Amino acid sequence: MDSITALLEGFATAAQPTYLLYALLGVTLGTAVGVLPGIGPAMTVALLLPLTYTLDPTAALIIFAGIYYGGMYGGSTTSILLNTPGESASIVTALEGNKMARAGKGAAALATAAIGSFVAGTIATVLLTLLAPTIADIAVTLGPADYVALMVVAFTTVAALLGSSPVRGLASLGLGLFIGLIGTDTLSGQQRFTLGVSTLADGIDVVVVAVGVFAVGEALYVASRLRHGPIEVIPIGGKWMNREFWSRSWKPWLRGTFIGFPIGTVPAGGADVSTFLSYAAEKKLSKKPEEFGHGAIEGVAGPEAANNAAAAGVLVPLLTLGLPTSATAAVIVAAFQSYGIQPGPLLFTNNSAMVWALIASLYIGNVMLLVLNLPLVKMWVKVLQIPRPYLYAGILLFAALGTYAVNFVVDDLIVLLIIGVAGFFMRRHGYPVAPLVVGLILGPMAEEQVRRTLQISEGSLSALVTSPFAAVAYSVLAVLLAVAVVVRVRRKKAKVLV
Amino acid sequence: MISEKVEEYAFGGLVAAIGVFTLVDATTIAARADNAVGPRAFPYAVGALLVATGLAAIIATARGKLGQAEEGEDVDADVRTDWVTVGKLVAVLVAHLVLIDIAGWPVAATVLFFGAAWTLGAVWWRALPIAVVLALVVQVVFASGLGLSLPAGIFEGVPFLDG
Repeated sequence: MDSITALLEGFATAAQPTYLLYALLGVTLGTAVGVLPGIGPAMTVALLLPLTYTLDPTAALIIFAGIYYGGMYGGSTTSILLNTPGESASIVTALEGNKMARAGKGAAALATAAIGSFVAGTIATVLLTLLAPTIADIAVTLGPADYVALMVVAFTTVAALLGSSPVRGLASLGLGLFIGLIGTDTLSGQQRFTLGVSTLADGIDVVVVAVGVFAVGEALYVASRLRHGPIEVIPIGGKWMNREFWSRSWKPWLRGTFIGFPIGTVPAGGADVSTFLSYAAEKKLSKKPEEFGHGAIEGVAGPEAANNAAAAGVLVPLLTLGLPTSATAAVIVAAFQSYGIQPGPLLFTNNSAMVWALIASLYIGNVMLLVLNLPLVKMWVKVLQIPRPYLYAGILLFAALGTYAVNFVVDDLIVLLIIGVAGFFMRRHGYPVAPLVVGLILGPMAEEQVRRTLQISEGSLSALVTSPFAAVAYSVLAVLLAVAVVVRVRRKKAKVLV
Repeated sequence: MISEKVEEYAFGGLVAAIGVFTLVDATTIAARADNAVGPRAFPYAVGALLVATGLAAIIATARGKLGQAEEGEDVDADVRTDWVTVGKLVAVLVAHLVLIDIAGWPVAATVLFFGAAWTLGAVWWRALPIAVVLALVVQVVFASGLGLSLPAGIFEGVPFLDG
């Protein structure tokens, strides 16, 4: 029961007024960027990185965790109230939630999303609290070859299993790995791919790349096809909660939580997959399946819960193995590294006080988010109506500012522009940007582990697969790939028949 | 449609080209000749991945499997690409990075915000004051609050603006 004591100590730290303020700042920012189209939590964390160097790591990580959780809450408000398809993780919510809002039941949709997110977020954080120390204990025994296996699994799932085009996902991963190679090799001190340019000798900063693909790339892409005219926000109508609301919502919340958390935990999909699975499950279990597609509350409650539970689940491999399985998680790993802390099994022994304060702040942040997103939801409706020219001008300004603030050199802005233009073309042609960011951050770690493995084995490649853990990981990956291929082929056949 | 296909080919080709560059440039990385894996091995793997995926993307395009353009709340899927707007925004960003060292951050930031907002359809007499105020506020916050000073440029020596 060591972890209970540690958690209580974490609460004692996180409940200090300054840390509470940082948590509030984080969740407020997170909700705002979740609500606003065009910016997401990954980019916000990246932008804030240079500005938080002066804070102590615990404070900075509490802000980032708040942004991460807040982004998940804010996204649902947008997809319910805005007339257009939303952020990837909450597209399913838009399906039913948007219909509910149009039918004058917007209040109930917002309530089930917010309370569902709270229930799922809290349960998933409890599971994280219970699981993480145990997994960290096991993870300590893993060797470099095992880490290589885990990273190969993460690379493959993020790049090839998600998204519509595995080829383009892998190409994006490759670009990220390539950018990660630029700079001075840590093991041999050799410069690689720097073209003799001195700015490149230290490598390209993660902040510049993340801000480039997310902020500049997104702003250019949206600008190329900007939706003009007034922003149509559906007015919030109907009752917030009644007996029917609770009786139809609570089961989907719990089911969503238990679908979302495991999917978030294993590097196999993150939020998107879990929301689709939850939606399918609710549709199947519903007594009134005919309501689906016309505003079924279960179709909001389940996926929203799954979404948040998956977000908490992603923190398990992040904190215990140092393995990011989403773009935001990858940027958070970079945040840890900027403080000289490597997330991984030793985190719970070396930085125990910090990590428990962080976990405690997740519980506190969830309560704050419930208040921010239910009684105060009208405030976010105002945010949603920011005129788009100013919104995207602001995104570009802060992208340039955040990048410049990393080193205070103009060269970084040139790199930002190049990467931003690349991000623009990637969006146009269906190349997902998340694998690029994951590859950039995991790539150098993977290279180091491969080389350590082969140094120990004196060059024998079989060392990469002979450890029992690695062998299991590769087998699981093979099974996952086989399943994915079968699913794809079946879908194609189904399409032909239709 | 035709131009979209050309772009797809070009992007796939670019990915493959970066891969070829990676493979070629990797041979010039100095490495000791012993049995340990040196600084070249990983670049070779990355280069191979880029060449393979770039070619695969070209083949997929040739077979008619175009990439799906990303959707978004503010993206109107039915309109044509507005290249002029994209070009103007890139120009504004270039102006920003050139101006930082010449005229200082507040001026460069005003140009960036105003230029971008105006390009995207804001009214100029509303966008301009917002841009000026925003740039000055950020400058003051950085100079006084965060202890990181942005180049003041033309405002050098001015209290609050020059940190």
